[in-house]
Amino acid sequence: MKKKQRKKSRKAEVRIPFPMLLANILVFVAVFGLSYVWLCAQCDTLGRDIKRLETAHRAAKTQVIGEQDRWSNLLAPANFARALKHHHLAMTLPDERRIIRVRRSGISSAITLAYNSRGRVE
Amino acid sequence: MNDKGRTLIVALVISAVFTGLGIRLAFLHLKPAASTLSRIETGRHLEVETRGPRGRILDRNGNILAVDISARHICADPKFIMEYGDIQKVCAALTAHLPLRRDEVWKLLDQPTRQYVRIKKFMREKAVEPLQALRLKGLIFEEVPIRNYPKGVLGAHLIGFANHDGVGSAGIEQEVNSTLQGSAGLRISQKDGRRREIYSRRTVDIEPEPGADVYLTIDQHVQYFAEKALDDLVEKYEPKGAWAIVQNVRTGEILAMASWPTFDPNRFGSAPAEWIRNRAIGYTYEPGSVMKAMVIASALDAGIVGPQDVFDCENGRWMYGGKALHDSHGEGRLTVADILKKSSNIGAAKIALKMGNEKLYQGLRDFGFGARTGLDLPGEEGGILWNPKRWSKISATRLAMGHEINVTSMQMVSALSAIANDGVRMRPRLIQRVVGADGETIVESLPEEIGRPIRPETAMEMRRLLARVTQPGGTGTKAALQGYLVAGKTGTAQKVNLEEGGYYKNKYIASFAGFLPVENPAISIMVVADDPQGAHYGGTVCAPAFKTIADQTVRYLRISPQGFPPEYVSGLEYNPLKEESAQENYAE
Repeated sequence: MKKKQRKKSRKAEVRIPFPMLLANILVFVAVFGLSYVWLCAQCDTLGRDIKRLETAHRAAKTQVIGEQDRWSNLLAPANFARALKHHHLAMTLPDERRIIRVRRSGISSAITLAYNSRGRVE
Repeated sequence: MNDKGRTLIVALVISAVFTGLGIRLAFLHLKPAASTLSRIETGRHLEVETRGPRGRILDRNGNILAVDISARHICADPKFIMEYGDIQKVCAALTAHLPLRRDEVWKLLDQPTRQYVRIKKFMREKAVEPLQALRLKGLIFEEVPIRNYPKGVLGAHLIGFANHDGVGSAGIEQEVNSTLQGSAGLRISQKDGRRREIYSRRTVDIEPEPGADVYLTIDQHVQYFAEKALDDLVEKYEPKGAWAIVQNVRTGEILAMASWPTFDPNRFGSAPAEWIRNRAIGYTYEPGSVMKAMVIASALDAGIVGPQDVFDCENGRWMYGGKALHDSHGEGRLTVADILKKSSNIGAAKIALKMGNEKLYQGLRDFGFGARTGLDLPGEEGGILWNPKRWSKISATRLAMGHEINVTSMQMVSALSAIANDGVRMRPRLIQRVVGADGETIVESLPEEIGRPIRPETAMEMRRLLARVTQPGGTGTKAALQGYLVAGKTGTAQKVNLEEGGYYKNKYIASFAGFLPVENPAISIMVVADDPQGAHYGGTVCAPAFKTIADQTVRYLRISPQGFPPEYVSGLEYNPLKEESAQENYAE
């Protein structure tokens, strides 16, 4: 019986050392793998964000151009005329007799003077 | 077989299946066959080539005349609709929102083998929005750019149009097509099972660049004045065609160029070719009496005649070279000044004969006849001015009254502007500047002198003589403008009968060309009507339209009777005749 116990305790004394290196490698690989997956996920998220912003930017640009186009259409002289007519606004240029022109000194020509005094050019 | 045996067989079968799948997966991942690999790559590959939007066309004040806007092609995947959608619902929605008949939509959708059909092209965003909101399965809305002309018919002949492929096909759109076109962009990437791009697999991403913006010299309001005046002329005289040009005489800039019949560039496909033709530069005709201004200017400049020299106008009928020459109103002896004022054919013919063929020819060449003006528009004609070697004995007499010569209105305005601009011919310009997408000016067009057909003193004399045409007793009194002195010349020419030879007896080209204010000319205007009905004299048909355009333009551009405000004549490279020297010339 004693012999048997001694054998058992000798067996128990044989200890396998903990494989530190292997464990480190495994931890490193696991961390590396997880980091890779995490980075991939981050990249995908960023990619999705960029694509979403690209789409939004394109839509905003399209909208700006569309509004510019509409504004330009509203400012067309024909549309002005139509709008004035629609609101019964008769806009006429003032008659020449109602305009007082202030001449800069020293630039009137002989023709102007002749026209003013006689009403026609000779 | 007992339970143990059956379990063993099932386990074996499952193991075999999984082993097979495992081997297949291993082969696919570790060493796939070249054909498989290429199939996968092709399925994943995404290559998108995009073209930058076409640059805008704007008037001198930055008003948009042409711009690329977003449109949609409405497409469908009939196979997908058959399998997962509701063809009845899609068909009903399409017919409700688009101008399409049910049978034609059904015919397009009822193709179970096809995965792509185009239902309607180039639909405006606004029109498509309600359809998009329905979120129908199997409908695809492809984004495409479409050229839009927000002002409609305004300046249609100048601006031209770009076709559905984005290529300029007329007007400025054609002239500066390469400048307006944006550069192509490229994106190479991979897509997932739902055909969406995987951003992280994007390998090439070159952004497309938009084309440059082109600013024109025209002013949308002056253009409108010209077009409106033509509309009134057309309504009153029902000509086959009518056109008008407004030019800044100092810089050569075209402020307006209108042509009737006109078209809407947004629907260029429905316009006949004849409507698209820009008659102001592409139609040549015998100008009639307007030519007398250039003939007399050349004669005065060469010192062959003086304004007070007298010619016998033969009471309206003169035989020369075996052919009779008539005046519409018989006159006796007239001074050169009155020959111009009363537009005597006989008087002008005698002046031309006194000049001699060579001097007459050279004078007209110097004014730019017989050659294109160099305006930056496609389709400009050069007209016809034969060499004197080909002239007959009476050619000079006919040239003096604007026959035996073919001109465009652009040439005529250019020549008249030279008289207004102290004898200096400026190159007519339509493009003011080109601005890149980054806002930087790439090209700036500056005033360019292209000739001096007459001396400044002669130009001053001609201005005085031409001013008399719109005064009482002249042929162009209907062009006179209250408060301004207007110089001009009427033109009434019988049309050439190209089929039978000779001239039509009752078909005319009526025109009026002039400039104002005479003291310091700012703008020149020409109005032409082809075969007007009810009246045919230039002074009756075209002078009122000239007056309308001139009246509105001088007020809008703040042109006082002394000329343009300073900002409109900046950038000149030559020295215009000074006002003091002008007075001296008149004093003489």
